[in-house]
Order: sequence, then structure tokens, then C-alpha cells
Amino acid sequence: MTVKTKLIFAYIALGIYVLISLFPFVWSGLIAFTPVNFVDEQGNKQGVDIMEWPPEFKLFPLRFFGAPPTLESFAKVFEITPFARWILNTLLYAGLVTIGHLVLDSLGGYAFARLKFPLKNFWFLLFLSTLMIPGHVTLIPVYNLMVNMDFINTYWGLFLPKLTGVFGLFLMRQFFMGIPHSLEEAAKMDGASIPRRFFTIILPISRPAMAALGIYIFLGTWNDFLWPLLITSQKEMYTLTAGLNFFRSSYYTIWQYMMAASLMITLPMVAVFLGAQKYFVESGAASGVKG
Amino acid sequence: MKEKTRESLYGYLFASPIILSILIFTIIPVFTALYYSFTNYSPLDARKYEFSFNPQDALSMHLGFFPDEQGLTVEGLAEWIDVELFMDLDVGVNLDEEQVALVKQHLDVNRLLQDFLDGKLATEMPLKEFMGTYLTQGSEKFQRYVPKWVWLDNFNKMLHDEYFWISLKNAFFFSIVVVPVQTLIAVLLAVVANTPIRGKGFFKAIFFLPSITSSAAISMIFMLIYTKPGILNRLLGIVGIVPVDWLENPATALPAVMIMNIWTTAGYFMVTFLAGLQSIPTSIYEAAEIDGAGFNRKFWQITLPLLRPQVLFVSIMGFIGCMQVFDQIYFLIKNIRNMTTSFYIYQNAFQYGRMGYASAIAMALFVVILAITMIQRKLVPDEAYF
Repeated sequence: MTVKTKLIFAYIALGIYVLISLFPFVWSGLIAFTPVNFVDEQGNKQGVDIMEWPPEFKLFPLRFFGAPPTLESFAKVFEITPFARWILNTLLYAGLVTIGHLVLDSLGGYAFARLKFPLKNFWFLLFLSTLMIPGHVTLIPVYNLMVNMDFINTYWGLFLPKLTGVFGLFLMRQFFMGIPHSLEEAAKMDGASIPRRFFTIILPISRPAMAALGIYIFLGTWNDFLWPLLITSQKEMYTLTAGLNFFRSSYYTIWQYMMAASLMITLPMVAVFLGAQKYFVESGAASGVKG
Repeated sequence: MKEKTRESLYGYLFASPIILSILIFTIIPVFTALYYSFTNYSPLDARKYEFSFNPQDALSMHLGFFPDEQGLTVEGLAEWIDVELFMDLDVGVNLDEEQVALVKQHLDVNRLLQDFLDGKLATEMPLKEFMGTYLTQGSEKFQRYVPKWVWLDNFNKMLHDEYFWISLKNAFFFSIVVVPVQTLIAVLLAVVANTPIRGKGFFKAIFFLPSITSSAAISMIFMLIYTKPGILNRLLGIVGIVPVDWLENPATALPAVMIMNIWTTAGYFMVTFLAGLQSIPTSIYEAAEIDGAGFNRKFWQITLPLLRPQVLFVSIMGFIGCMQVFDQIYFLIKNIRNMTTSFYIYQNAFQYGRMGYASAIAMALFVVILAITMIQRKLVPDEAYF
């Protein structure tokens, strides 16, 4: 094989996988923009069959499944569900959890990386041992704790147990350990206190690690399904994923609405990802997102 | 203050929020779950002492009299009261034998009936308050729910529970297929992308996309693709494959979810492998080419062995993730014979109200995952983890 044929082969193989990766998004997009029914040129109301085969796509005039594409399914989702409220809930949930992680993981990470305190190794090994515990083990006791605290259907119940995590702690600790001691030594000589050194020297150069952690946590929390499913039972308290679960039980036959809702949950994270790609693909966070 | 003391102080000041949080939300719950797994913990029973009822109505219903009727006396009414039936049917609370005996023996019937006749009975009262007021002794047995210690009953039940074994078998089947397939696809994609092509960043970004999407939303999208008149069957129809109702058919439902899972993770792991490949010096390949090695030999004898840390890392992470797969099963699996262990835990705990049993299954899953991780850890050097 010459170098050129090798390259052609590589482009073809990667191209096929690009199609495979994108196809579900494209297909759900086509369906989401297709109206449930429309009025044709003769003024007759017509239903649209999104399962028709072969599907009728035209560019001039633009036709999906023989019908003019519209945004009405997206509007309809807001009309028949408290979708705006769900977005707000999800933003609050993901936002608060992200802030919690950024503040607490970095404080803890600094303590474990740079400060000496009694029992430090004990705590560290204890935390390390929790990494292998499946989420389903702690789920039931933590849920019961939330019930006893009367936190069901509250934001407290949603975010409080998620505010910190061993993974974030280790990530930040690892990052802080890589910062040369000499940076702090000078400040120490000048008599700068520990908090001062942390906030004025360490934090400003930790932005890339914080960004990676923040994006990773925000994304994971935005997509989280099981915890909101357990903690929320009132429509107004659902997050987007829990809301989608509720929505599908009543509207699963209307694929246009389902796809519009699914895309509105997915696309914001695609935007976040594309905007923050460099933190993602290159950071250490990329080595443990999900299985 | 000495420098050392000050450092310890700040150390705890900085670390205490995370220490507390992990203690409260991870470490203590692990032990609580272990405790639950030896009990018959039931979420409905756990709430029963908080449960409020109307003693006035319940008693009136039980006796068949209203308190304002003429000629009623405490002594006369006392003959009509059957404490056991009253608790069971009119109050509507499920008590164990010991508690029933306690109530029968120590319920202050005279005081209760006097309050009833005087109209002093509350119209709403939690059970624990009622017991505290009207039991002459033993009311502490009704203050706090203590699940019954059942020794190894849950584990015993588990061993004989057909659905537990089905769920575990499915979780294994899921992992044993998904992990190698996603790893192989990821390695192959990485090898292909490691050639001097243009637009590497573009390919990486696109391949990464499926892994950042919400599993709930992606499940809905695949549900559409997998329906019987759906696009997948139409495309397969072109090559003459008969349409299958992928998710409704118990034989194809789990494989369909597996394919979706591979789709979400393969591209993501490819990025891990690509980073590993880029650290392999090209001179090794050049040397092999001079020796006349073809693609196959280079792949199996150079690429894979040098990627060993990444391959093991990805397969361990993948395995742990797959054994716990939940969201996709929740959304797409309809037949109980296709569910996985984590879903069965959820069902037992939150749908059947058997939290003790669910905790026992969670412990079993923990042990299985731990055992597999230990085996894999023996094969991989530690530095591959962090």
C-alpha cells in the first residue's frame, strides 16, 4: 500500500464513523422539524407519516417527509409541559453542583496536596477505597436520609449530596501537586498566610484544571437521570431528564415532540462541549467520564 | 501559634467540607447499606410512626357510636373495644406481634375513652404521639422505626431468586460484549486517526459527541430508530433483512441497548487511545517496516502491546460502568427477563418497597465488581490510574 492509498483508506474509515456518530442526531433533528400535520397547497389538512418509506425529502421547496419543516414541535413542548421550569431546575442543579465541586474540591485538593494535618493519610486512603463502590450501594441510605430531612421535591435534596466528590478531589490534588513548590516559597518567606498563598498564587494558575473539572461536573449533572428521578415527584421539580421520562409516558407516540424535547436536552451540552473542547479532549478529566 | 499547628488548622479548615460530605454521603451510607442488607427494611414501615390519623374518627368508627350520643359511659364502651382490630383496621397500621401484645397490655383504654367522650381526642395525631399519650408503658417501641434483623435471609433469598440471577447474567453478558467491542473499535479508530491525516481535531470532536449526550435523550432517539417501521429496519430491508421489533423482542432488546452503549462510548475511548498512540515513537514502526512487517503484524505486535496500560484502563473503567448500566435499561428495556442488576436493585428498593433486599443485591454487585477490579488490577501497573 502506498502512503496515498493508506490515507484514502483512513479518510473513508473515519468518514464512515463520522456518519455513524452523527446519524442519530441528524435523524432526530429531521423528525423534530417535521410538523405533525400541515395544510397542503389545495388547502387540505394532512397528517405526516414520519415512518413513510422511502422518505420524501426535497430541497426546493424544503420538504421533510413531504411537509414543510417547522419549529412548532419545539414550541409545543413548552406548551404541554413546564419545560422552561425544567430548564431552570436543571440549570440550578447543574450550576450549584458545579460551584460546590469547584470550591470544595479545590480547597480539599490543596489541603491534601500541600498541607500537613493529622490523619491526612488515613482520610486519603479511606477516600481512595470509595472509588470502587458502585453508586447503587449508597443510593438507598442517601435517599432515606433525604426523606428523613424532608428534602424530597426540594433543590436541597437534589444538590446537597452531590456537592463534592472523591474524583474531583483527586483531580485537583493531582494538579496542585504538579505546581512547583518554589512558586509558594517566595510568598512564604514574605510571610504570606496559607489562604493568601492559595487564593493569590495557586488559584490563578489553576484555571485550566478548574475549567476541566467544572465542565465535566456540569455535563455529568445536566445529564444525570437517576437522582432527579428519585428525589423529584412533582412535575414542577423535575429536571430535564426526569421530565423527559414523564413526558414520554404521555406523548411517546408523537415522535416529533419527543425528538424536539430530546434535542433540546442534548444540544446545549453539544454547544458547551464544542466551546470548551480543548479542556475536554486534552485534560485528565477525559480519562474517567463514563463507562 | 506554631507554624505546624497553624498548618494543621488550615488543613482541616480547607479539607473539612469535603471530608464531612464524603463521610455523610458515601462512607456512612456504605455501612448503612451493609446494615440494611441484614434487615427487612421497608420504606413504608419506616414512615408508619410519622403517619397521622384521626383518633376521634377511628374510634367512633370502631365503636359504632358518636361521642355525643346519650347514655354512653366509659365502662359501657370498654366492652366494645377490641384493641388489635382497632389498630389494624381503624387506625390502619401494620404492627408486629410484639407491638400488638404491647398495645393490648398497656393501652390506657379508660383514658382514651374518657377523652373520646369529653371530645378531647385530637382530630389529627401522628401515631408516635398517640402511643406516647395513651400507652402506660412501652411507647418507646413506637418512636423510631427499627427494621427487623433477619440475619442472612436476604442473601439466602437472593441465591434462590431467579430474577436476581437473570439480572446478573444480563449485566455480565452486557459487559462481556460491550467492553471488548468498544475497546476494539476505539483502538482501530485511533490507529486510523494516527496516520498523517488532516482534520484530526474535527474527527476527535465528532467521535466524542455521543459520549457527552444525556443517556435519557439518547435512549429516546434510539427508541425511534429501533421501532419496527423505523429507519434501522428500512435500511436493513435494503439488504433483505426482515424487520424486527428490536426493543419489544426479548431476544434483541438487550443487544440493541448494547449497540447503543457501544455507540456512546467507543468514540470517547478512541481519544484516550489516540493520546497513547501519539506517545509511541514512529521509529519503532519504521524499523518494523524495514523488517517487512505488514499492518496486521504491526498492529498485534507493536501497537497493542504498547497500548497495554490504556487498554487495561479502558476495559476496567468500561467494565465497572457496564456492570452498573441503568439509565438506558430504564428507558428501553420492557421485559423483566432483559433487565440488569442495577435496575433490579432500583425496582426492589423503589417500586417493591424492599430496601433490605435491594441493599443485599447491591452488596453482591459490589463484591462482584470488586473481585473483577482486583483481578484486573493485578494485570495493570498502578500508574495507569491517575
